[in-house]
Amino acid sequence: MEIKTVGVAGTLESSDIQIMVSPATGGIQIELDSEVAKAYGKQIKKVITATLTDFGITSAKIKATDKGALDCVIAARTLAAVQRATGTTDQPKLEVLQ
Amino acid sequence: MDKIVDLYLNIPATRKKWENFLAKRGITNFSSREVEVIDHTFGLFDDQNELVGTGSVAGNVLKYLAVCNQDAVAGARFNQLVTVLQQYLFNQNIYHSFVFTKEEYAASFAHLGFTELARTETAAFLESGTPDIDDFLVNLPQVANQASQQVAAIVMNANPFTLGHRQLVELASRENGLVYVFVVATDASLFNTKERQELVKAGTADLDNVLVVSGGDYLVSQSTFPAYFLKSPAELIVSQTAVDALVFKNKIAPALAIKRRYLGTEPFSRTTNFYNQSLVSILSPEIDVRIVERFSTKEQIITATRVRQLLKTDQIAAIAALVPASTMNFMLAHQQDLQKRIKEGMNINGN
Repeated sequence: MEIKTVGVAGTLESSDIQIMVSPATGGIQIELDSEVAKAYGKQIKKVITATLTDFGITSAKIKATDKGALDCVIAARTLAAVQRATGTTDQPKLEVLQ
Repeated sequence: MDKIVDLYLNIPATRKKWENFLAKRGITNFSSREVEVIDHTFGLFDDQNELVGTGSVAGNVLKYLAVCNQDAVAGARFNQLVTVLQQYLFNQNIYHSFVFTKEEYAASFAHLGFTELARTETAAFLESGTPDIDDFLVNLPQVANQASQQVAAIVMNANPFTLGHRQLVELASRENGLVYVFVVATDASLFNTKERQELVKAGTADLDNVLVVSGGDYLVSQSTFPAYFLKSPAELIVSQTAVDALVFKNKIAPALAIKRRYLGTEPFSRTTNFYNQSLVSILSPEIDVRIVERFSTKEQIITATRVRQLLKTDQIAAIAALVPASTMNFMLAHQQDLQKRIKEGMNINGN
């Protein structure tokens, strides 16, 4: 599936993550800002990438500002952002979160 | 739990409460030029219904942001407010925002994913979201072996493109391997952004080593340098020109291997004079700044301001001596439309 526009989900508040998805070419590029990037950066990027891949995205630019979100939150925010970016919010693809 | 409320500053009691809150936290400039451009203001209220935070949006710039951290987790209120301001912008499909803030708060914004573009002794300038400055720079055209070339830059509003602009570009074209002409992107002039850029392109089409590009949000734009577009007090111009010059020096020049910048003197514009001084003091010696005397015809110096005045007073024939044929043809073809814009109140005495 193709990213058409910019999609954002999430807040900058504690235990949340803000995900901004925008069009790109050449794979999934993630720019992560997190105070726990040293310990969990790899895992956060893994969850974002897996969620996008399951949704059928192969190229996207992601800006993620993490405030200590759990994996389930990261996946949910990523899904919401990418559904907004692809204009598909009317068909929530919740199975991606499994 | 704190709650977010819309604040309407046109209500005198709200305005007073808002000003008092900000003044206690060291924000004291409530001049109408700063406040009138605000699109929306939010307030954060605690359980006792006390104002404990506020923030505003003007275009894509976050302004008047302050919080009281008493009885709250450090940073929580600040993060909540920035989230609300950004969501307000997202709802309008604005995904790229800027903030000018005191230098000591730069770190708080950096924690929320903002990237610092420039920092002076008193102020910091940061951006957030997409497309950012890296996207802007990547999308600019480059030539092969650009790093080994002598690359120069000129920034112009070109409202419209005159023979004065033309001679400045010609000079730079002769003295350098490659010249970027950045055309101011903000649409606040008699000739709109597209017209200005096209007239610069048409007027320099014969110069092979000149690339005409948009200045985007980063070169003399409404976001970074609003004082350029409005009459402004000196200290405001100085701080804004410093930010503009630093963004050029830190980000734009290195990415494009620009080693020289050409400036035209502007005998009638105080703002441009301040800007030129600022550029010289900040860019030198890393970037070779060359100030070029304004070109003149036999009778008068050539300025775009003069062209606009002649247009207003219907002395179209006299314009031919001041502009290249491409600009003249455009003005003849669109004379009525342009004059209508002036009649409808478009300011022609600014830049």
